[in-house]
Amino acid sequence: MTAYTNPVGSNHTLVIGIGNPLFCDDGLGVRAAELLASEDLPPGVQVRELGTPGWGLVNHIQGWQRVFLIDAVEMGEEPGVWRRLEASQTQFISANQSISLHEPGLADSLALAQALNLMPDEIVLYGIEPSFTGPGDELSPEVTNAIPSIVKTIKQELWKTT
Amino acid sequence: MSKRIDVHHVTRVEGHGNIVVEIADSQLKECRFDVVETPRFFEAMLRGRPYIEASHITSRICGICATGHATTSLRASENALGIKPTWQTELLRKLSFHGEILDSHILHVYMLVAPDFLGVGSVIPLASSQPDIVLRALRMKKLSGDICAAVTGRHTHPIAMTVGGFTHFPKNGELEILRQQLEAARADVDATVELCASLPWPQFERDTEYISLTRPDEYAFIDGEIISSDGARLPIESYQQVTNEYMVPHSSAKFTRFQRDSYMVGALARFNNNYEQLHPRAKAAAAAFGMQPKVTNPYLNTAAQVVEIVHCVEDSINIIDQLLQKGVAPEDPVPPSTQGGEGVGACEVPRGILFHHYWIGEDGKMTGANCIIPTNQNIANLEGDMKSLVPQIMDKPTEAMQLDLEMLVRAYDPCISCSVHLTKVVRP
Repeated sequence: MTAYTNPVGSNHTLVIGIGNPLFCDDGLGVRAAELLASEDLPPGVQVRELGTPGWGLVNHIQGWQRVFLIDAVEMGEEPGVWRRLEASQTQFISANQSISLHEPGLADSLALAQALNLMPDEIVLYGIEPSFTGPGDELSPEVTNAIPSIVKTIKQELWKTT
Repeated sequence: MSKRIDVHHVTRVEGHGNIVVEIADSQLKECRFDVVETPRFFEAMLRGRPYIEASHITSRICGICATGHATTSLRASENALGIKPTWQTELLRKLSFHGEILDSHILHVYMLVAPDFLGVGSVIPLASSQPDIVLRALRMKKLSGDICAAVTGRHTHPIAMTVGGFTHFPKNGELEILRQQLEAARADVDATVELCASLPWPQFERDTEYISLTRPDEYAFIDGEIISSDGARLPIESYQQVTNEYMVPHSSAKFTRFQRDSYMVGALARFNNNYEQLHPRAKAAAAAFGMQPKVTNPYLNTAAQVVEIVHCVEDSINIIDQLLQKGVAPEDPVPPSTQGGEGVGACEVPRGILFHHYWIGEDGKMTGANCIIPTNQNIANLEGDMKSLVPQIMDKPTEAMQLDLEMLVRAYDPCISCSVHLTKVVRP
């Protein structure tokens, strides 16, 4: 079955790349997930590039012990700076208070998962500060440079903790 | 009496738009729906790219209508290149298309519209107060996604669909499981009809022109002719005679009109034009809402979506039965019969009729593209509704007026800006 949700067998960790590659740096999560998926990863880990899943994210994260999300995140840092953010210790700003979002963003989906008690035990957001998120299909040089480093760190964390 | 309603970024609409209504001395002075649409740079992005990439690029335009854009794109390329897809390809496309219609309609009904009626600001408090309702929505959404994933290789952005056919095929066993799940989902579908039919839908009537695709053989989602409730029928290649795009100062989106000042596309237009071809269970659902064509209350666009949820679940079961009867077998995509050309694709995506018009050079690269999305076609009609509605609700308190207007906008299920999904955080 090609069902895309819920872990199968002994899988425990899901890494999700999020974003729209038609909006330059907004697509960085997709690019990072593609790169990570080509690496040698420990058993029990799955990598998925979800593009723009909207509320569907709730279905994707349900049932996993641990979920890593890779996304463009506005943190007030310089472009290309990346951070590892524990969801439990991070305040997300929901879509309705910020800029136009086509579908609900990460903040809304996580709030919904929380309200329904569907959150995995652990959610980590690997966020990269974008430089440009306007129309176009190329990443900025700052983000392009950051991706190998964030992917390497995620891979190390996966091996260390699995 | 003077009032001003200025709702920036209507919440719970896909994307954003601003409602501006101004009443002075009990006269409606201003009434408009501003659209801040992302410019249609996608067309420019397609130029110079191999046609084989077009469906993958356009499927990223929208996280909700990804299969719709991809399918319309494929049909445009195939019409340009003289490709007739096989029976199996057509059925598989219809099945994944139904998956996406279900996904989008369920999202709209439960996540965007239901909170208005159930007295909560959004789906998140609803998840706390009535989790069963939201869990039902997520269950149905998951099944819709699983249909898309089984057929197109992935949920949101299909990868297995290509010009002339597919590159991946669902196993018969997968289809059998989906069939069982669809049958089991009837209980959720019935509960959806029951819930929605019990909601106090606003009473407001304004007749307009309803435009959709139509086909002689089925309730049209992919291909067909353009039909107007005012009587016209045109081939899809003549779409520009229908859309007649024009600019207005307050919007970055182009407006459209055909035989009246505006027209409506979407589930209600399909319902009005193609009602007879709905599955009997869908017609029974329509009866639960007291709906028979022609329905002229735009708020009932959402009810028409519920009717289509029933239809798509039943028709998906039919399609799977047809596929299983012969068994799905891998087949090569049908090759082009011409080098380059011009073609139009048209599909009824969740929000209405979508056109892709492509020009492909002899080297296989795109030389031009025109994409007309449903939401643009609805904006003039939405403004027409607002202008008609406001005088009827002018005596209500401003907040109540605002809610009526917001609910009207949401009823159209607009997808105004397929924009970025930037996450913002405040770090401790």
